[in-house]
Amino acid sequence: MKQVVVTLALTALVALPLAAQAPDVAARLTGRVPPEVVSAVAGIAASAAGRGLPVEPLVQKAIEGGAKGKPADRVIAAVRALSDQLAAAADALRSGGGRVDADVVEGGAYALGAGLGVKQVQQLARASHPPYDAALTLRVAATLAALGVPPKNTVDLLEGVISAGRSPSELLDLPSEVQAGVAQGATPAQAAQGLGRGAAHAPPGQPGRPPGWAPPGQQKPPNPHKP
Amino acid sequence: MTETFHSLVKRLLDGELSLSDLPPELRGEGAEALRLLGAVDRAPVALSAEFETRVMAEVRRRARSPIRRVWRGLVEPRDIELRLRVRPWVVWGAALAAAAAVALLLTRPPQASEGARPMRVAAGDSVYVRFVLYAPTARRVAVAGTFNQWDQTASPLARVGAGGVWAITLALPQGHHQYAFVVDGAQWVPDPAAPGVDDGFGRRNSMVAVTARGARIL
Repeated sequence: MKQVVVTLALTALVALPLAAQAPDVAARLTGRVPPEVVSAVAGIAASAAGRGLPVEPLVQKAIEGGAKGKPADRVIAAVRALSDQLAAAADALRSGGGRVDADVVEGGAYALGAGLGVKQVQQLARASHPPYDAALTLRVAATLAALGVPPKNTVDLLEGVISAGRSPSELLDLPSEVQAGVAQGATPAQAAQGLGRGAAHAPPGQPGRPPGWAPPGQQKPPNPHKP
Repeated sequence: MTETFHSLVKRLLDGELSLSDLPPELRGEGAEALRLLGAVDRAPVALSAEFETRVMAEVRRRARSPIRRVWRGLVEPRDIELRLRVRPWVVWGAALAAAAAVALLLTRPPQASEGARPMRVAAGDSVYVRFVLYAPTARRVAVAGTFNQWDQTASPLARVGAGGVWAITLALPQGHHQYAFVVDGAQWVPDPAAPGVDDGFGRRNSMVAVTARGARIL
């Protein structure tokens, strides 16, 4: 009994702040999207708020669909799909025992949408202990997956960079570094593996790049004093 | 003889890494490189007593030269001890003025530069982010995203010169923002420099992460 009360209290602690941020969705959408979208999205948002999910991404998705001139049914479908991803991410993060605020849940939803699995999202959230931000790690993971890096390589790379003690802002460089590797002929997986090896070997404070890496056109001339 | 070592081994020789930092397959090569370098460095160099006497005589002769002494006095660095006696309010005033100058420098937007990457240009709760798109045939370009409620009239880009480059600098709050360019009011174009995420409508949105340390496309 005591455990049930504690669980309910903890759930309320998590859910109440998220539910409290639910704005007047209908008022924000009126005039921006067709009336049927307003009512459908207001319903989806109310349900999401009741489950402790962030509402703002749903409102933004509906506004985006209206601005892009998408038909009502596609806008509603996109908002519903995002709501499902947010719910899946929140479930994954809660069962993983990690931080469950709006930003992290949204990051988790993008990571799931990009192809990462529930366990991988939990794994990355757990690895993102301070000063690392789980929301940031998950968004970088989503971008890496969108670039074509397989989910396992994505998780390995991010965990490697974190465990090597790189600065949190260096995580943000990873997508562009993978892109640079792909531009030089590597597959996304190879580029990620190379970055992971570089991160493991380079001392902290230096960018996690593979040995011998230099930006195109900036290769260092050979040092004649080195054997 | 010329031997090419692995780049990590070269860093070992520079003292940037230790032998234990190397991956196991390179440790043998690293140990061999250290052995070779050690053998060269530790070869004893013997100088005759007569050579040392000649060198020191030349040093003393040059040190005695008045012209050299004057020249050294003019050009050689030296320690100067400066003692200031100031009131505390002068120190605090100077510190406040310096802090104000630094704040002014940090909040000034930067000069225009080409490229299709948002960049950090200011400090504070908001960060200046520059959006640039190369669209030579466009008649008008805007950027729309979560930061302006996807309003394609809110943030129009301006032409930069006659080369087809369009740009705008916006102050964005810290956080993650999705965006896309809108060309001629109808064509939604993701940032060519950003990989982006699925927009749920069959296209891609670009994403920028804005932190206290700056902005980076994701």
